[in-house]
Amino acid sequence: MKLDEAKILIGDDSILARKQLKDIIAQYGGTTFVEAANGQEAIDKFKSDKPDIVFLDIVMPVKDGIAAVKEIRESDPKAVIIIVSSVGTQAQLKNAIEAGAKDFIQKPLNVEQIERVLKNYFEGR
Amino acid sequence: MYTQFFGNFLLSKSAVPADKLVDALERQSSSYLKLGTLAIHAGLLNASQVDAIVCRQTHEDKKFGEIAIEGGYLTKEQVDKLLSSQKPDYLLLGQILIEDGLLTNSQFEELLAEYQASNEIDDLNVANEQNDMVEKLIHKFFHFDNSDMSGKIVAYLNLLFNDIVRFIGKDFTPLNPLMKSEYMTNYCVTQKDEGLLSFNSGVDMSKSVAIAFASRYAKEEFHEFDEYVKASIEDFLNLHNGLFNVNMSNEFSLELNLCPPEVHEEEKLTNATKIYVFPIIFPFGTIHFLMEI
Repeated sequence: MKLDEAKILIGDDSILARKQLKDIIAQYGGTTFVEAANGQEAIDKFKSDKPDIVFLDIVMPVKDGIAAVKEIRESDPKAVIIIVSSVGTQAQLKNAIEAGAKDFIQKPLNVEQIERVLKNYFEGR
Repeated sequence: MYTQFFGNFLLSKSAVPADKLVDALERQSSSYLKLGTLAIHAGLLNASQVDAIVCRQTHEDKKFGEIAIEGGYLTKEQVDKLLSSQKPDYLLLGQILIEDGLLTNSQFEELLAEYQASNEIDDLNVANEQNDMVEKLIHKFFHFDNSDMSGKIVAYLNLLFNDIVRFIGKDFTPLNPLMKSEYMTNYCVTQKDEGLLSFNSGVDMSKSVAIAFASRYAKEEFHEFDEYVKASIEDFLNLHNGLFNVNMSNEFSLELNLCPPEVHEEEKLTNATKIYVFPIIFPFGTIHFLMEI
């Protein structure tokens, strides 16, 4: 699948973090974004919008990112979820992978990390 | 030399009153360094020579450099070199205080010599020096029985100063921490970190300072106090705390859990023990970092 045809869900409680990630992905050709401000909203939007890839923060109100990964993967075991967090500890990494996340991006965001992830899942423009 | 601490040094010497210092620090971005200040710092002129040149300037319509060269105080090469040399931020602070009449040139000369002597570490070693200064500053105020705990709190504050430099800028001056049992917030974001070491951290500032802080953090120019500005403050605190948790996990195998940030606007925070307040002054205004343990 090409990135410009993909629907991308970004779950982060920070509107700034969502915008920054969206801006970077758009540089690589991403066009269609769905946003969620907490873990529960991300689960709901996943079910209603059926995105091709999900980027999720861990520390969020209502429901955290790890719990959201578990629920999303229960509803769709093939869901591609990437964790984007400032808390890149070994323990959190382990939690994320066990819950079913495919990759882990450590904040602060840098373009190279996101490029690497996008190349794993999408063809070039 | 780590310039952020010159303001703090001046306060510790009771060289200037705190309110005047804050005022001077906030005017740094709109001021520029004068040749006389640079010459004192370089050891090429002493305070009385600078005073003599400034005195001549009042009745001769000439630049400081011109009079210095004519009077044989400095050579043209020295003037050129001074103007093109690297200029530490703290010189500007000293100069503003002189212009405000809070210090004389000779007092500034003495304080500068003392500050430099108390910080005799070569400039390449900035990171270590910064840590030393931060540790000294913190140890003056924190007297923990549990030395293990104290080490982690010092580590927290060290990382905080590093993250401020990394994400906001190095043109700040930390003032001495305050201990309070209650704290009235302006626009304040707090975040709990829970585990074997539990604490609540916070960052508090006025809305106008928040706009400038957020513009630096997000590397975007914000003009009003909107949701992006609010998110920037939360992001900064969350990012800093996240990095702290990574360090604690790597260095001490200590796993901590961050809670989502909370906003306290014009609210009284109270703590049964103590709230530690760390004021940091940037040219765009003052920020208070808070810690409850």
